[in-house]
Amino acid sequence: MAAPTYDVLIIGSGASGGMTAHTLTARGIKCLMLDAGPPIDYDHDRVSRRVYDLPYRGFGQPGRFPHVTQADEFNANVWADEKQNPYTYDPADPYYWVRVRRIGGKTLVWGRASWRMSDYEFKAKDHDGFGDNWPISYSDLAPYYDKCEPLFHVSGRKEGLPQLPDGLFIDDTSVDSESLTRFIGAAKQRGIPTTKPRRATGALASSLNLLLPDAMATGNLTVVPNAVVRRLIVDKKTGLIDGVDYVDRHSREEFHATARVIVVGASCLESTRLLLNSGIANSSGVLGHYLFDQFYVKGTVQAIVPEARDGKGAPGLMGGSGYIPRFRNVDSKSKDFIRGYAVDFGSGGTPNAKYFPLYGEALRKALVSHRGTGFDATTMGTVLPRFENRVSIDSAVTDAWGIPALHIQARYTDNEFNMARDAMNTLDELCHAAGFEVLEKHDQMVPPGESIHELGTCRMGDNPKTSVLNKWNQSHDIKNLFVVDGSSFVAGGSQNPTLTILALAMRASDYMAEQMRAGAL
Amino acid sequence: MKRRRFVQSIPLLYASPALFAQAIAKIDSVATDAVGKSVPHFFTASQMAALRRLSNILVPTSADTPGALDAGAPEFLDFLIGQSPQPVRTLYRSGLDALNAGAAAKYGRAFAALDSTQADMLLSPLREAWTWREPTDPFALFLRHAKADVLTATTNSREWAAAAKRSGNGTYWLPPE
Repeated sequence: MAAPTYDVLIIGSGASGGMTAHTLTARGIKCLMLDAGPPIDYDHDRVSRRVYDLPYRGFGQPGRFPHVTQADEFNANVWADEKQNPYTYDPADPYYWVRVRRIGGKTLVWGRASWRMSDYEFKAKDHDGFGDNWPISYSDLAPYYDKCEPLFHVSGRKEGLPQLPDGLFIDDTSVDSESLTRFIGAAKQRGIPTTKPRRATGALASSLNLLLPDAMATGNLTVVPNAVVRRLIVDKKTGLIDGVDYVDRHSREEFHATARVIVVGASCLESTRLLLNSGIANSSGVLGHYLFDQFYVKGTVQAIVPEARDGKGAPGLMGGSGYIPRFRNVDSKSKDFIRGYAVDFGSGGTPNAKYFPLYGEALRKALVSHRGTGFDATTMGTVLPRFENRVSIDSAVTDAWGIPALHIQARYTDNEFNMARDAMNTLDELCHAAGFEVLEKHDQMVPPGESIHELGTCRMGDNPKTSVLNKWNQSHDIKNLFVVDGSSFVAGGSQNPTLTILALAMRASDYMAEQMRAGAL
Repeated sequence: MKRRRFVQSIPLLYASPALFAQAIAKIDSVATDAVGKSVPHFFTASQMAALRRLSNILVPTSADTPGALDAGAPEFLDFLIGQSPQPVRTLYRSGLDALNAGAAAKYGRAFAALDSTQADMLLSPLREAWTWREPTDPFALFLRHAKADVLTATTNSREWAAAAKRSGNGTYWLPPE
């Protein structure tokens, strides 16, 4: 049987792969999408279960996910199996690589936070002299943010902040609770801005329901689940990608598929792993380098609102959430670090039992007394892209399909540590100023990777000697190869990256379509 | 039913999925732990006795809610810890042994035989302020884990759900394919 031919072959079905398919198929371009994971029937593959009927009472199978702290017994089957998909790191520098291998990728479970980046990130070097600027500026990406936000039904409130550009939101007009108002007031007195969360809304906000169905409806998209791509093959005569070798996840049967253009959107580190295993697109020597993410200090402060104890809080005292955008190194310079951090904060939860140095009846009474009294804040900080933080192939370890695994090498430095300490002290001060009682404060980051915001390793740039991709997410070395996910980032911020990944993929796809129409691809 | 009539009925069943579905009754069932008691096998008898005593101190029965013993938390933890990675198993076994050793040294008896005041003396690390940095003392680390695990094993039990009139429901993702 002759294999069908396609214009574009897309590897990955998450945010970047889904957006690429959505954009290209709408322009009449025939796309083939390969994904390593199985399909999902969202309505039937999720069922209601009682926690006590689960085999491990909600604890989950011990040792199944040593690096996925987000895994619990309810969602355990979402995450990529760590035994089938191994990776390595130096035990002194643990890295938590969190993956989802299903159609829709990590957009099935993402936190939905949808922030634009600004020229404080795209042109970061201009502000502090560190690293490199992106080859694009905010104005290049703004029209694509404008299209992505309505697609994902993003709600938010406009603030006019240069470090956090406004967008096309569903206007969030909700009223802040009294406890939040006190905290926001304390921040305002100190020149610290706050805003409402900006989030994709709806029962599900995924590639699975917002991108792929539209692409399928055009008749131009063929989706192949369970197709684990082994390598990209270069035609030595043309220097172009000829196609990809892939293996059936179940049977292990090997296949080869071809297309005019290859788009890699397999998620940040999987995409770079694929290029490294293919031995391509690395004339610069920087493929795999400049890995970064965002550091998280979960529960930087856990406080309580005293008047809410014993259920005595007045109506409207507790509840709601908000966000502190980056405010350091915007109008002034911090002496201990460059760039900045953001904070998610929320009111109205019950502090975890661990915060009370009690047990038995005394603990039970404390938990009852403090029900709904909590205020907590989590810090998300900018991590500097450094050459020495990198991924490489560990040929001694292979996955379940015989594909060499990644070795990941990443550690934070004083810039991040100092930033975390500043966040802890600032939040502690704000909580006290708001009249809260702080139960615990800390600046201990989760291990690199745990934020699931890994970025870089296949970065874009104008100079082919120092970057892998050009400003259109196109390989400098191989013109029919595009990499459209977070691996293309040059620098990041404290903003969650998914909205920017969506906008970049849409922009690259527009360019791709135009180049194909003009016969340049 | 005569054989010919039975054979004739087969195409009808297959041709009519709705009729076929109606013909099969749904069988309600319960989980394995709903009808039998868990049989401990990981901890030694003295460790298990200490775990039961500790569990009862950490989450005692109240007027409104079942305690850890009512919820079978010690027996469940015997199963859970027995399946856990080696460092967790060692943490628990060493911690329970330390409870018994401390009780023997201070009061000349096993931890399970201590009264509440005596037991409280040995559990002093749990009365220190909690911090994100884990204790370097293995015994304090054990007590921290035990407090969290006994509480979760209790509040996630069917006994707790029944007393609290809560469903305990969550959205469970089925295994792929």
